[in-house]
Amino acid sequence: MIIVNNVIDIEKLNLWYGDNQALIDVSMPVERNKVTALIGPSGCGKSTLLRSINRMNDLIDNCKIEGNMMFNGEDIYDSKTDVIKVRKKIGMIFQKPNPFPMSIRDNITYGPKIHGVTDRNELEKIVEDSLKGAALWEEVKDRLDKSAMTLSGGQQQRLCIARTLSVSPEVILMDEPTSALDPIATSKIEDLMIELVKKYTVVIVTHNMQQAARISDRTGFMYLGELVEFDDTEKIFEKPSMELTDRYISGRFG
Amino acid sequence: MENNTIKTETRFHSDKVSKYLLMGIAFIAVSIVFFIILFIFGNSIDAIKNIGIVELLTGTSWRPGREEYGTVPLITGTLLVTIGAILFAVPVGVGSAIFISEVAPKRWRATLKSVSEVFAGIPSVIYGFFGLTFLVPLLRDLFPEQLLFGFSWLAGSIILGIMALPTIISVSEDALDSVPKSYREASLAIGATKWETTVKVVTPAAISGISAAIILGMGRAIGETMAVMMVCGNAALMPNPIFDVFSMILPITATIAVEMPYIVVGSTHYSALFFLALILMVMVFFISMASNAIVKRTKRKFGEVVEKETLAGKLMSKIPVDVLNASKNILAILGLFVMSFLISNIFLNHVAAAVMGVLVTAAIVMVSLLWLNDLTKENKAARPRNPSEFIEVVPAGFKGYLKTSAVYVIIFALFYMAAYLLIGNIEAILVGLAAVGAYVGLRAASKFIDSRKTQMIAHSSLFIVMLFAISMLAVILLDIFRDGLPMITWDFLTGYPTNGGRAGGILPAIVGTLKLIIGAMVVALPLGVITGIYLAEYSKDNSFTRLVRYCIDILNGTPSIVFGLFAMAAFVIYLGFGYSLIAGCLALGFMVLPVIIRSTEEALRAVPNELREGSMAMGATRWETTVRVVLPAAIGSIITGTILSIGRTAGETAPIMFTAVIAYQSSMSHSIMDPVMALPYQLFYLATEGGGSPEMQSAIASVLLIIVLLIFVTASLVRNYYSKKIKW
Repeated sequence: MIIVNNVIDIEKLNLWYGDNQALIDVSMPVERNKVTALIGPSGCGKSTLLRSINRMNDLIDNCKIEGNMMFNGEDIYDSKTDVIKVRKKIGMIFQKPNPFPMSIRDNITYGPKIHGVTDRNELEKIVEDSLKGAALWEEVKDRLDKSAMTLSGGQQQRLCIARTLSVSPEVILMDEPTSALDPIATSKIEDLMIELVKKYTVVIVTHNMQQAARISDRTGFMYLGELVEFDDTEKIFEKPSMELTDRYISGRFG
Repeated sequence: MENNTIKTETRFHSDKVSKYLLMGIAFIAVSIVFFIILFIFGNSIDAIKNIGIVELLTGTSWRPGREEYGTVPLITGTLLVTIGAILFAVPVGVGSAIFISEVAPKRWRATLKSVSEVFAGIPSVIYGFFGLTFLVPLLRDLFPEQLLFGFSWLAGSIILGIMALPTIISVSEDALDSVPKSYREASLAIGATKWETTVKVVTPAAISGISAAIILGMGRAIGETMAVMMVCGNAALMPNPIFDVFSMILPITATIAVEMPYIVVGSTHYSALFFLALILMVMVFFISMASNAIVKRTKRKFGEVVEKETLAGKLMSKIPVDVLNASKNILAILGLFVMSFLISNIFLNHVAAAVMGVLVTAAIVMVSLLWLNDLTKENKAARPRNPSEFIEVVPAGFKGYLKTSAVYVIIFALFYMAAYLLIGNIEAILVGLAAVGAYVGLRAASKFIDSRKTQMIAHSSLFIVMLFAISMLAVILLDIFRDGLPMITWDFLTGYPTNGGRAGGILPAIVGTLKLIIGAMVVALPLGVITGIYLAEYSKDNSFTRLVRYCIDILNGTPSIVFGLFAMAAFVIYLGFGYSLIAGCLALGFMVLPVIIRSTEEALRAVPNELREGSMAMGATRWETTVRVVLPAAIGSIITGTILSIGRTAGETAPIMFTAVIAYQSSMSHSIMDPVMALPYQLFYLATEGGGSPEMQSAIASVLLIIVLLIFVTASLVRNYYSKKIKW
């Protein structure tokens, strides 16, 4: 397996919600400038794994975590780690587009302002760069002061991506980012992902196996809280080494 | 087969019959609603004719003895006492709501919320009693020079503020809670702290709901009678100067209550009181319109519907960002100035000098620190991050800082000059100056503090605010129970009063209160529930039903004293019932009728339409669907609503005080045409004029409190039981 250039290394991660163990001994690398996909049936723990990468699970009461989650060589769960810096460096896109009920511009400048950028010209540049990065600039450049709620679903999701780009993250986590979108909007987001990995690292949770096959470089298959298999996407989809993976991929599951 | 057809026919027949039956009963209720409104309007016409609308609305003297009926001092009294209450209740209430919704652990939330709801149910006469026996003497001791007796606008505002707190907390918390979780997640995922998320995302998204909460709190303050009547001094004065919080005042509601027993039917005075009732209803109407509009807007915002561009929004987008920011700052400073000015007016002779000194020093130190910081920092990127520039007082760079400082100095100098010209009170203005200085200084200081510390400071301040709110309410309970509970013995509860109601037992009062509750429920419950069902399940959405809803909404918010006035004129005098149980039951019943209609209707509307469709799709009639599917699903909320209105009935004083109750009965009355004793009125009577030992008064208050609290606890248990049972 490839050892060099991992942004994130997950080692023996165990996670409990109360008494219910949601992740069991998960170990997985995330390679820089690659798309890593997580697939598996509902409730298998793939979203939980994704949300533990930027510590969004902290928000859930009685959630307990053991194991290592190394981000550029530092443990994300170390007591000295600043969770705010972690989340700045590891952005997240959610299942349903969730722009703030503000103008398009304010949506983008929210993050930079929080992190201390006050210069107006700098903010303008960030707005333009982020929107271009999310392939939305041409569509909205004339109505930056309109409410973000006036955008279509696909545009809203790209706005959310732009919002994440505005604080220049290294990794972007995507939790089923296209499940609420129509096929055309979905294909735009997929194209965008392929662009994004040139500069960033993407981890995506998806229900859509074709999507995983189309866009990802590495794929992990999860079942009942365990990472059953992790390998090159091609190999997972053509010659999986585990019987369970094969059955899931070919739709002969359960 | 034939058998089945007949069955079907009977079913449709009974569906029709039930429909017309419901319609008929709803018609009665709606007629009552219209009748009350028309009655009040009709009776006030004489005043408008005899005195003239202009004189009524612009006259500055209210002296019924001299036939002077200018309502300006009364309206001013109502507005001032309300504004004072809001100034006090909004920061505390909204702060507590933010703490409960955003900071407190989830386990606390339910408890804190039900505590605040229980406090919303404490009868106003209890608040008034607390004000009279605790707050008024306290104010008199604190400000012996300004307050001879302690009765004042200030006392009224504090009591009303405490009363409005539960409403503001509860509704604001709902608004904050209904902000989608995804907004919070999005903000946190980008690396904002919880506090930054609260300030910049959650609160702005909930601002409509919070405004609705404030407006509802205002509505409660405007309509309050007993408490203000007991602490405001009841003198129809215009405060001079207008911000003199120590002045006695006479709000509209208190006017009606104070003068009601002396009116002669058909006199101008009689009609003028109805005109006052009309003014109250108009105020309440605008308040309920405003809050409805706001709530509707909020719903649209969180819904899937794309936001339409409003004219206001268009205009706002035309204003340059700088102007917008600057006006925010000016507003903030102006607000601070007014607040500090009022505060300094109260405390000037006591602590002002010390506070002023500390504030000014702190402001100077902080501002100069910031200057040094700006001068020495070369690398702009290395500046400490500024977490809270919601109102950006201090922009980057030394030049920018100088520029803004200059602007603020000029703005403030203008305030200063205006205030000096108007008032000539230099000390008060200095306090204002110090407050603004401290404000600018604090914003500057926030540049040195990282977001985590800001969050810590903010969260602990919110915690203190919430403790303050709760302790205020706890003080009321402790004060009353401390003196009252030891007095409660078996003999006290089951004995008859002696010495004109000043001593002895309170059995007739307890029984009288129960009789009033039962009577009111007999009047209101069937009518209200059935009308609610009709409106929710059967009525079509046309202009008539909309008119009906408006009228019900108006009566729903109408101050209880208006029902007292109405019942006294209509039943006690016109129909010649005299002071009687039945007049009291009708007054209370009509008062809660709109409440029950509305809560039933809302409970039914909360039932998802899929349930109805599911039942109708199997061939059930509307009546069968209503009875077998919709009602069982909504029964929990309907029962809760009913119990809550029983709680309200138990503690109400204003509607029964001149319709049904007397202060002394040596034996139980038996006819419904006889007057009764009642706990809330007994408390009011003894506390204001009757006398009797303070322990006796506290004991009555304790019994009343215990009864009402039991009712409310029952309501919340019922709600919890049903909310566990039914979920969608």
